[in-house]
Amino acid sequence: MGGPISDVIQLVHAPAGCAWYTWGTRRHLSDFYPWATPTRLTNVAFNRRYCMCTDMQEKDVVFGGMKKLEQACLEAIRLFPEAKGLIIFTTCTTGLIGDDVQAIARQVEKKTGKLIFTSESPGCSGVSQSRGHHDFNTQFYRQIRQLRERRPELKMSEEEKTPYDICLIGEYNMDWDLKIVRPLFEKIGVRIAAVFSGNERIENLVKMPDVKLNVVHCQRSAEYIAHMIKDGFNIPFIRVSLFGINQTAEALRKTAAFFGLEERAEKVIAGEMKRVEKSLAFYREKLKGKRVAIYVGGPRVWHWIKLMEELGMTVVAVACTFAHEDDYEKINARAPEGMLVIDNPNEFEIEEMLKIEKPDLFLTGLKEKYIARKMGIPTVNSHSYEKGPYAGFAGMVNFARDIYQALYAPVWKYQWGIDGAPAKDEEEGSCS
Amino acid sequence: MTRKIAIYGKGGIGKSTTQQNTAAALAHFYGKKVLIHGCDPKADCTRLILGGKPQETVMDTLREFGEDAVTIDRVVKTGFCGIKCVESGGPEPGVGCAGRGVITAISLMEELGAYTPDLDFIFFDVLGDVVCGGFAMPVREGKAQEIYIVASGEMMALYAANNICRGMVKYAEQSGVRLGGIICNSRNVDGERELMEEFCSRIGTQMIHFIPRDNIVQKAEFNRQTVTQFDPNCNQAREYRELARKIIDNDMFVIPQPMTMDEMESLVVKYGLLE
Repeated sequence: MGGPISDVIQLVHAPAGCAWYTWGTRRHLSDFYPWATPTRLTNVAFNRRYCMCTDMQEKDVVFGGMKKLEQACLEAIRLFPEAKGLIIFTTCTTGLIGDDVQAIARQVEKKTGKLIFTSESPGCSGVSQSRGHHDFNTQFYRQIRQLRERRPELKMSEEEKTPYDICLIGEYNMDWDLKIVRPLFEKIGVRIAAVFSGNERIENLVKMPDVKLNVVHCQRSAEYIAHMIKDGFNIPFIRVSLFGINQTAEALRKTAAFFGLEERAEKVIAGEMKRVEKSLAFYREKLKGKRVAIYVGGPRVWHWIKLMEELGMTVVAVACTFAHEDDYEKINARAPEGMLVIDNPNEFEIEEMLKIEKPDLFLTGLKEKYIARKMGIPTVNSHSYEKGPYAGFAGMVNFARDIYQALYAPVWKYQWGIDGAPAKDEEEGSCS
Repeated sequence: MTRKIAIYGKGGIGKSTTQQNTAAALAHFYGKKVLIHGCDPKADCTRLILGGKPQETVMDTLREFGEDAVTIDRVVKTGFCGIKCVESGGPEPGVGCAGRGVITAISLMEELGAYTPDLDFIFFDVLGDVVCGGFAMPVREGKAQEIYIVASGEMMALYAANNICRGMVKYAEQSGVRLGGIICNSRNVDGERELMEEFCSRIGTQMIHFIPRDNIVQKAEFNRQTVTQFDPNCNQAREYRELARKIIDNDMFVIPQPMTMDEMESLVVKYGLLE
């Protein structure tokens, strides 16, 4: 959740192992910033490029890690003076010994003037990754509120405010989704004042409670903060999906309706439809009748059921890692007859699902792709995409292209599948 | 064979005093070789043996100089009657994890071979109640086989003793640790001996010794000494000598049967109404 914020240092207060697999993992991307100096050749945006760690040792556990944490914060800020803030993440180790990270955050803020946030969600404190999202939402909101009281100058100034300010919540700029999404909203006449939290600067996130409307895309990881802002600041929110032609159009219509911009929205939608029509017609022809299985974190399952239908495909099986009841309600509302739904499957269940349903395509992540491909089922990386962005109208074309390339890759000609049954239709393998 | 003994009991009950006086008696009167491993973060389990000399603790050494700096020469000190002393040490109250400190210190001492086979007795002196897994470390596999609980005839001390027994039962099966008895460190309360004896029989153990209250203990402590060193011929030194003898000859090792809260309450009522 904090990872996609582009100008803060991510600092994990933990033994070094807890910060493993944090550098450059996902394509939540961000701009080059004007404050990059000529002497620094790197893109100074932090998200997922760097992650700091306090490297807690046995002695720090026994004697408490607060001094070490403060030192690490100050060191990180000294190394990257261009960072506007820092987020401290606690883990099981530091959660158990009860280090007072909030006190350290206040001290470091006093010493450096940077915006210091804490995110305390040790792995042992609850089930699944979703608990961490929830904790981050709650704690981030609380800290923003406190920060706005402590430093009112950080609120949005009256000059900056417009009657068309929105905040896009639950959009993480996966493989530059925002490059497509942001202009769509701008064209209908609204201003995205902040995105929670893809390619966003921390100073803009502090201004989240100053907008007129919150538009919630990922309704699993980030709807919590929309609820809290609604309760605390009386700002309404709407739920949208920015995947697929119809859903994106619907999202723009809903947003426009709130501001009375319906006409502009229809114009934008018509223009966009025209742009993608021809390409999509080609892919629809190639993809129609294919059967799809989806296994992702949660919301993308229901975001994509309709998208697959728009491409003429049928979703036959879905599975989620951390979906809650409301996610399954949304899935069920969109599910075609006979679709298999599995909650948090293990490897064997995935294998069984693939064997029983024999989908033509499996939309899933990096860990599961190997078993599928060995069984002769093409996959598309559905977490951080193959060649995105996939959101919005133009993203839909990219998505369709990647699916097409996966399905029609020449390699499947030679694929026998682990059951020794190359039961594929003739068209397969004839890459044009 | 080395007998490994862990001393538990409510905070402030006199564990460290009793344990050091017993160790001194074992060494002085019976010529036993003794090592004391203090597991209290306050690191005050060996000061009477060492004559108040500040001891470099295992965890402090680890913190200041790293793990390689922890050697037997550095952290094991010899005091009265050749008694060897180690202190685990640990954090200030309110920070870090003292339990983890106990685990680390005991593991290090084992690795370094500080618990040599020529020792007759090793005492683990453990902080207050069993608060987390770290403080149960001395009763895990291969460490202490005998537990003595220091208590007095006050209800809170008995509650604590009962609670320690509950913690002990968990480990008794897997590690073979047994309760050797309860040492009554008298507070001169009414009906103390009777209450203690009933408590002991209810949980299935013995009151191994009743140590009367005597100001000479405090006097010796002011002089940073055990009673045995301060005045080996006084009454109190004889009491500790007797306790030491009983521990040497002890053959009653049991898995305690801790009482339920209701049973504890009824015991309170029974002795509370004596007057």
